[in-house]
Amino acid sequence: MDITVKDLGDGVAVLHLDGRLNMVTASGLRDQVGTAVAGGRNRIAVDLTKIEFIDSSGLGALINGLKTARQAGGDLRIASPNEQVKLVLQLTNMERLLTAYDDAETAFIDG
Amino acid sequence: MAEASVHTLAMVAPPDDVDTVHEMLESVWASAPQISMRDRFSFETALIELASNVIRHADGGGGISCDLTVEITADQIVACLIDSGLAGNISLIARSMPGELEESGRGLSIIHALVDEVDYDRSDDLNHWRIARTLDS
Repeated sequence: MDITVKDLGDGVAVLHLDGRLNMVTASGLRDQVGTAVAGGRNRIAVDLTKIEFIDSSGLGALINGLKTARQAGGDLRIASPNEQVKLVLQLTNMERLLTAYDDAETAFIDG
Repeated sequence: MAEASVHTLAMVAPPDDVDTVHEMLESVWASAPQISMRDRFSFETALIELASNVIRHADGGGGISCDLTVEITADQIVACLIDSGLAGNISLIARSMPGELEESGRGLSIIHALVDEVDYDRSDDLNHWRIARTLDS
């Protein structure tokens, strides 16, 4: 999985993910969120447009990132999940905690 | 009606990992266009959770060998995973989901939600796992 970080200013970073978010790649996401938050960007938008697959390890990395961002006074939001990702969110009752936004670039427009 | 097809994979982790299973499934789906997208990603999610559990929990330190068979019949898709790891100590009884801020503990519940049969047996010093999903009609 590739991760590209885009700084939108105002403490917002967009992480564009590309590939599979599973036990092989979960630690990379945790590290990138940690780096962004340590750098003062505590509002993290995770763009899942190009994520073809997620498993419970990947979900755990998103939850880890959410906690990291919140502990720094921010938040983590996800955007554009495909049907497989939506299924995993639904089965694990995570749709409320990880509400899916249409577009990562505008996920923090409302604050 | 499509004929039954069988696909096999022998892997050793490490260096193989769950991405090896994903790559095998890509060829399975390519040869089985009759399988719906919903069945594909549901079964793939369950199988990857199973393989992840095996790789993560059954490795006694010397790596783990796995033989995976995926069979598609007229009404089912079945995976049999035989591994050389430690005896499976994973309860097959579906648990409730952990608290929403917990980072792990959801894999087995996901498996049970996505397949109709989950079986485990220990014989000949090997773990034998089997999952089966009834295909959408």
